[in-house]
Amino acid sequence: MKNITKTFPGVVADDQVNLDLFPNEIHVIMGENGAGKSTLMSVLYGMYRPDDGDILVDGKKVKIKTPIDAQALGIGMVFQHFSLIEVFTVLENFAIGRKGGKVKLNLPELEARILAAEREYGLSVDLKRKVRELSIAEKQKAEILKVLFMGARVLILDEPTSMLTPQEASALFKSLQSFKKEGKTVVLITHKLYEILEVADRVTVLRKGRVVLESAREEVTPSILTEATMGRSLTAQEYPREAAPSTGTLAISRLSVKGDRGETAVSSTTFDVHRGEILGIAGIAGNGQRELVEAIVGLRKSQSGRIQLEGEEIGGKAVRERMRLGLRYVPEDRKGRGVALNLPLTYNALMRDHWSAPFEQKHILNFGAATKFAKEIISEFGVVCSSESARAASLSGGNLQKFIVGRELLRPTRYVIAENPTAGLDMAATDYVRRTLVDHRNAGNGILLVSGDLDELIAVSDRIIVMYRGQTSLPVPRKEFDKLKIGELMLGQGFQSL
Amino acid sequence: MLPRALPIIAAATGELVDQSAGILNLGVEGIMLIGTIVGFFTDFYTGSLLLAFLFAGVAGTLLALLHAVASISLRADQVVSGTAIWFIGWGLSGVAYRALFGNYLVPPTIAALPHLQLPVLTSIPIIGPILFGQDPAAYFILLMIVLTHYFLFHTQTGLNLRTVGEDPRTAEEMGVNPIRYRYAATMFGGFMAGIGGAYLTIAVTGTFYYDLTAGLGFIAVALIYFGKWKPLRTLVGCLVYGAVYVLFLTIQTHFLMIPYQFFAMWPYLAIVVILAAVAAKSGGPASLAKPYEKGA
Repeated sequence: MKNITKTFPGVVADDQVNLDLFPNEIHVIMGENGAGKSTLMSVLYGMYRPDDGDILVDGKKVKIKTPIDAQALGIGMVFQHFSLIEVFTVLENFAIGRKGGKVKLNLPELEARILAAEREYGLSVDLKRKVRELSIAEKQKAEILKVLFMGARVLILDEPTSMLTPQEASALFKSLQSFKKEGKTVVLITHKLYEILEVADRVTVLRKGRVVLESAREEVTPSILTEATMGRSLTAQEYPREAAPSTGTLAISRLSVKGDRGETAVSSTTFDVHRGEILGIAGIAGNGQRELVEAIVGLRKSQSGRIQLEGEEIGGKAVRERMRLGLRYVPEDRKGRGVALNLPLTYNALMRDHWSAPFEQKHILNFGAATKFAKEIISEFGVVCSSESARAASLSGGNLQKFIVGRELLRPTRYVIAENPTAGLDMAATDYVRRTLVDHRNAGNGILLVSGDLDELIAVSDRIIVMYRGQTSLPVPRKEFDKLKIGELMLGQGFQSL
Repeated sequence: MLPRALPIIAAATGELVDQSAGILNLGVEGIMLIGTIVGFFTDFYTGSLLLAFLFAGVAGTLLALLHAVASISLRADQVVSGTAIWFIGWGLSGVAYRALFGNYLVPPTIAALPHLQLPVLTSIPIIGPILFGQDPAAYFILLMIVLTHYFLFHTQTGLNLRTVGEDPRTAEEMGVNPIRYRYAATMFGGFMAGIGGAYLTIAVTGTFYYDLTAGLGFIAVALIYFGKWKPLRTLVGCLVYGAVYVLFLTIQTHFLMIPYQFFAMWPYLAIVVILAAVAAKSGGPASLAKPYEKGA
């Protein structure tokens, strides 16, 4: 792949990326979320057309417009969500779209050929079972076999271990090693350090759409990879901090939370958020941060453990009750959770507090108070909008976020849970939101800041803890902040493997 | 019982293929109505049964094509588009009848379809007339539903079609063009609904009157849910419906003091009850009624 550039509205996903793949190798592509790894591979597989650049196969320039073109060139891809029909048997899934056969399905003939392929690649899958009856690892095996059976020489796997147990993952790696010996090229997209060290022959690291490192396995160390992935530039922006007295604590102890699929998303986590501090939670997205926040706010049931707000157990309380006790929440999903898009700002302003004075008096909503509050948010936070009666949907993302942050922070509170509050904001808005958080800290409120942006956490936090696979690290105090050290923790170094 | 069930069997056969490809066409009712008038008119003026069924099928295909363009190419909401098709068919059939036949005091009629009279076989008591004494169109419709079963579950094209209904993206990745399959399935659905409508006027009533189908198209859709998207199970549902209909028709003649509408209500009510019992655990094609957008 030569000089591949792919942009989406407003973002350059890949910027003049070069990538060479050879037979008999496992090539790992590493990078943070949004670094452009998946986009690059989707270009190779014909899911996206590149804006610029060429793809050469065996020295010949090729045009890959659809996955079918890619398959014809021997390029196959296994996505995180599999391309398998759940209600069909594995065998039927292999038969979809076959050409040149008779009108009637000839499944026994196909089965014999798949069984031969199973032996060749050392993958055994029960072909007669329905896909929905298979475990995730079995589905993945079926999908890999399908891709190989369709003639792939280059096998691309997008985060293949994200849903596997360690045992299943090492079985997968063993298979990948054997494909390599048979002359295949295996491309592994991942952000897990140990996987690279275990299986890679070569590593390419992408950061913000550019290749920042391309090297053989022998030449890299964990710290080189971490530095390449995270970048070294420390943020220049400083926020004035004052010593704030710590007068109370939001205490999380041995909290376990289940994820959407019933898996353990947060496992027995313990930490405290003190008033007068910003506690940052670092970690690559999907390591349990979302579930943790939802459990604290009251949007998700916790399995076990305690959440105590200044000594009072709030784990079983309704969201409103938690808010009444002094918790505010800036959700990451601002359009879905932060506001009602089709309602005017006035209504959105009173939403968090519609049950309390001055917004509600004797069961009647006081829109005068709501309008006043909306105006206050708009002027204090410099929200650009036509008026307080503008629909929330008419605001840009940054202004919407300023409005939400204003709503959550202008009312008296004691603790704020902020979830990626600056994601997608421009520099000025980002700076403003961070400054507001630090101001709140200085005013003696406790802030739990979950962020995927390590620079942000280092800029504003008093302490940082790292979340990895549902576990949390011990807090790192501000004077010991070290980007590389925290980066290694984010990639799982130092966590006991589960 | 069988003549009453056959229009539904025809419509359900088409709609089943349609839904298996992921397209819900609630316009079957309207398409059937178009089939009734086109079939009746063609038979009335040409006297050719073959042409009558053929034209009814083609008219149904054309109306279904409208639904296909709206819901597949323009990605409109299929429930809304289907409802529009229903109204178009409903209104158009009524207007067409007035325009073509005027306002008769005694409605024009056509001769009923000739039934097969196979020697020996038809004289077998009870099952003889049922199995061997039907008209040719009946055998065609029954053959179609059996063939549809074979097509969906035993052919390469049928597997491809069901893949489109489950996950068009996977289908595309496996080299199957979802758009083409959905168009073909929707048009087949229209053809069969047109045939079903024509059967109603040509073989059952022998005449046309306003809103002749009275919800048969919707019952066909409901029976597909009952049949869990399997042709043979759906066929059983259609036959049971036909039996219930005839049963209440018979009961009605014995209780003349009770308004006939009271009896006419029961088959519909039975459908609601059956659906309530079955629908909770029925799983249709995963991408049913979901538009497919390439690369999105």
